[in-house]
Amino acid sequence: VQSDLKIWTSIMKSSGVTGTSRKVKDNAARLEGFNAATSIVNLSSQSEQLLVDGSASASSPSSHGQTESLQEECRRLEDVVHKMVAVVTKMERLMTSQRGIRDLEEFQFGPEGRTSPLFHSWTAAETLLDGFRQELKLKQTILQEVAHTATPDLCMVYLSCWLHQPYIPDQNRLTLEALLLETGHRPL
Amino acid sequence: MIKPAVTSLHQALRKSFQTLENNHKVWRSELEECSPLMVSLGNLAEQLRALSNVQMSGTPLRDFPDLENRLRFKLLQATDTVLTKLNERISSLQSIRDAISNQVTAVVQLYQQSADSLDLSAVTERSPTSPSVADMLEWLQDAERYYRKQFLRRKALLQMLRADDLSLLESAPNRWKSLDSPSEEEQITDTLCRVSFFMESQ
Repeated sequence: VQSDLKIWTSIMKSSGVTGTSRKVKDNAARLEGFNAATSIVNLSSQSEQLLVDGSASASSPSSHGQTESLQEECRRLEDVVHKMVAVVTKMERLMTSQRGIRDLEEFQFGPEGRTSPLFHSWTAAETLLDGFRQELKLKQTILQEVAHTATPDLCMVYLSCWLHQPYIPDQNRLTLEALLLETGHRPL
Repeated sequence: MIKPAVTSLHQALRKSFQTLENNHKVWRSELEECSPLMVSLGNLAEQLRALSNVQMSGTPLRDFPDLENRLRFKLLQATDTVLTKLNERISSLQSIRDAISNQVTAVVQLYQQSADSLDLSAVTERSPTSPSVADMLEWLQDAERYYRKQFLRRKALLQMLRADDLSLLESAPNRWKSLDSPSEEEQITDTLCRVSFFMESQ
């Protein structure tokens, strides 16, 4: 049991560190993503205006320049989403190892667990991961659609989705803190 | 010869203008901090409006569970945060108004107490470096009225705003801006310039 505990703590330690660094990384990516998304919304509304005007044909230099910069913005957004994919993949790998430990626990002590539980927040990390997965899916959808959207309202909804991260609720922060507290990464 | 009553009145006036000068700057910086908050309030209202206009089931976002409610919740939460920050700024404006009001009331009271011992010429007399006591009292009262009025208007506007009233939120940035009164603001700056020599003389 002693060695078991040691492995556990070391794994949780690494998970805690990844958790924190993930947050930091994510925030940076989010911030970057927000800038790119804003200019995309601006750009697509501009290009939409061009289409409505009908005066600027696709071959005219100004609209050509716009298409190019739209392309450029999309590429930047894509970069951001790629970074997010990497982060979520890392989280998934971590979850797999944790699920393994959980299964091991169940195998050793039955579904009731041991008399003094090793760990309470088993599901916390999974909740976090689910949120991030859904958020990533949302962002990927937005990335595919945003440049092809003609209605300004829908563009705006994409932008707010990107900005406000509907699938990352505020209590995530608390859940993470609880997890860190339980694993001893936060002093009582 | 200047009478002692005039001297103490001058002292009080100097102190009042000093308060006015300091608070004038603070007031301005507080208002400057309000404008980006107002802009983000307008942005949030715009986003909420767009969300109500879009029928999620007809968009590529239809497969995301509960997206509309989640997003609306996030937007309302953000609106709440901005409103709270604006209310904090309004309380600072209130304390500035109070500081100026108290100072001006004090100096006017002092004048009223000594009014009997002062003759008309002592109150209206002025020199190239020092405006007359009557003028200075008037300017102070003008300034005090300006802050009182400004504070009330801004507070009233802010109290009307609710996170669930979109049209009010949308119009808030413009209404806030329309409360600016550059001419009255300039008058206070002018006043402070006019009394600058008087304030330096002891």
